[in-house]
Amino acid sequence: MWIIEVLGFGQQGWGGLLIAGALMTLCVTIVALLLGAVLGTMVAWAKLSGNRVLSALGNTYTTVFRGVPELLIIYLIYFGGSGAVTAIGRYLGYEGFLGLPSFAAGALAVGIISGAYQAEVYRGAFLAIPKGELEAAEAIGMHRGLRFRRIIAPQVLRFAIPGIGNVWQLSLKDSALVSVTGLADLMRTSQVAAGSTRQYFLFFIAGGCLYLVLTSLSDRLFNRAERRANRSMPSSLGHA
Amino acid sequence: MVHEHSADPAAATVNRLSVRNIRKKFGSLEVLRGISLEAHDGDVISILGSSGSGKSTFLRCINLLEIADEGEIWVDGEHINMVRKHGRNVPASSKQVDHIRAELGMVFQSFNLWSHMTILQNLIEGPVHVLKRPRAECIAEAEALLEKVGIAEKRHAYPAHLSGGQQQRAAIARSLAMKPKVMLFDEPTSALDPELVGEVLRVMRSLAEEGMTMLVVTHEMNFARDVSNRVVFMREGLIDCDGSPAEMFSGATSPAFRQFIGNFRG
Amino acid sequence: MDFVFIFQTMKTLLAAVPMTLALFFLSIFFGGLLALLIVWMRVAKNPILRNFAKGYIFVFRGSPLLIQMFLVFYGLGQFGFIRYSFLWPFLREPFVCAVLSLALCTAGYTAEIFRGGLRAVSVKEIEAARSIGMSGFLLVRRIIGPIAFRHALPAYSTEIVMMVKSTALASLVTVWEVTGVAQRLISQTYRTMEVFLCAAAIYLILNFLILQAMALLEHRLSQHRRAVPRLP
Repeated sequence: MWIIEVLGFGQQGWGGLLIAGALMTLCVTIVALLLGAVLGTMVAWAKLSGNRVLSALGNTYTTVFRGVPELLIIYLIYFGGSGAVTAIGRYLGYEGFLGLPSFAAGALAVGIISGAYQAEVYRGAFLAIPKGELEAAEAIGMHRGLRFRRIIAPQVLRFAIPGIGNVWQLSLKDSALVSVTGLADLMRTSQVAAGSTRQYFLFFIAGGCLYLVLTSLSDRLFNRAERRANRSMPSSLGHA
Repeated sequence: MVHEHSADPAAATVNRLSVRNIRKKFGSLEVLRGISLEAHDGDVISILGSSGSGKSTFLRCINLLEIADEGEIWVDGEHINMVRKHGRNVPASSKQVDHIRAELGMVFQSFNLWSHMTILQNLIEGPVHVLKRPRAECIAEAEALLEKVGIAEKRHAYPAHLSGGQQQRAAIARSLAMKPKVMLFDEPTSALDPELVGEVLRVMRSLAEEGMTMLVVTHEMNFARDVSNRVVFMREGLIDCDGSPAEMFSGATSPAFRQFIGNFRG
Repeated sequence: MDFVFIFQTMKTLLAAVPMTLALFFLSIFFGGLLALLIVWMRVAKNPILRNFAKGYIFVFRGSPLLIQMFLVFYGLGQFGFIRYSFLWPFLREPFVCAVLSLALCTAGYTAEIFRGGLRAVSVKEIEAARSIGMSGFLLVRRIIGPIAFRHALPAYSTEIVMMVKSTALASLVTVWEVTGVAQRLISQTYRTMEVFLCAAAIYLILNFLILQAMALLEHRLSQHRRAVPRLP
């Protein structure tokens, strides 16, 4: 019975806090994914630009942020960012240490990593667009902006959905590392609950199960989006 | 090379399309070595030639998908402005380029329908977003065009669900939806299975009968002989000979052309 | 740029590289073996084995490695039967816990990669082998295994780089590998950028060397797909 009590939603229960932690994990990951989408688009554009300097910068970005441990990048943003905030505080006359809010640091760090993976996804998706379709757009007199908005962007998005799904799963799991900054996400809450009740096994299993719920639900969501986006492709005849 | 039709620019303005002395190099390879051509209203000009003779490049230069290094182009009397940069032509205004392209219909060998849009969406994309015309009007016209090319029932299907012949007819309808002054066809039947060629040629033939000005790069000898009013034979980046189908196919033409059509008769 | 500081930092961090490499090689080795077992179960006809493998892959790919590692490090010691078993002297060690959880996790990912490789083996190739009398382990060892491994190699390279990065988590269970040492240096000196750059350089070089080795392997194993060199 004690299991129901500690995992429940009553006075002694951690259930409510665990759910709140799961929602925090979801929030961090969503913000990171959006940030990563902006960064990823810019980096993919730089890599495809044909400009040597820009594509070298883009390559450096994706190599570094896909090749260096996520934990190290979180330290860089959290400690480095706090250092920067403190320096600005001192400039404005405030003496003492100012920390970067852990949500902002976490979302930024996971977003930067997510951006590196998303850049590769978008680049691949752009290259998958048949060249003839771009030419057809040119041939009826679409200018660059219109071509991007009406032909390139929708197709890149369609080809990119499976890749974005993978990046989302990756970011969801990376977000667990943000717990080292003290943010009360699912990982951190499980850890605190485990520590204060000494029921390590129970709470890490419970936390793990909640992560599995998050990953499998979002997996289902992305599969549905992929089917919807691919309704114009031949295979969708089978689904119809 | 001075071509018999390359009249002075004043005369050129009355033509649907005038091209004067187009030259194009890719690296050190000179693909077009001075081509001039005129199309009057209602002309159907078939451009023949073996692969590598520069026919497709010529068409792409007219539609400005490639920019000719030298030469001049008028579309419906409007001169395409070029500036010289590093010894080659560059369009002076990208606005004019878009506007000219909107006036020239282009049909590609590989259809190039936008795969993420239905057939109807493919047709109204240009009229609505490039010409900025009212959507309802465009849809009505597009449906009439689909009726005309015989695929009205496919208007809500996606390109990948159509046969090659149906896709090419849709692509022709997409070009027509822009109400072009001249239609350019770049080997429109070369990517099709033999049994599907006929349906596309029928659509092209009815267009010709309605008086559309057309430039057709093709390997279909019957189309060139029966539908076009002029046949141009290109060889090694030049116009080797040209004339009415009757003149051209009577045998009194250049030896190279005789050999070319000889290959087709097998 | 303070070169003395960077030099010192680099020296301190490089001293932790053997620990990172030990974590990496041991977990790749044991994870690979476990993956073979899981993939064998995953493609088995027996539904119990198959579903167990499916569940294993789902759990270890669907949850964060950190929670798995904490489960092993903090969770196992909670049980008396483990605490008083002959395994405890090993499972008490943070290093063993880190390797164990890294191997368990990568086995899930690697099993899926190997299964993808298996699907690339065509029925015809297997039939041809059967027709000359191969079967059982010989068939797997000589025909199915080599073909599947070649196809799985590109995806496996990606997984290996992921594993290099994953060793960083061992620092959170008090194993002093490169990232852990870097974190300690940062909190001692507050010179985040310099320490980060040094640590990042170490990881990027490690990745580069490992990927080069993998590319070399791939090159040697793909001779059959390259065109015959033309005579000059």
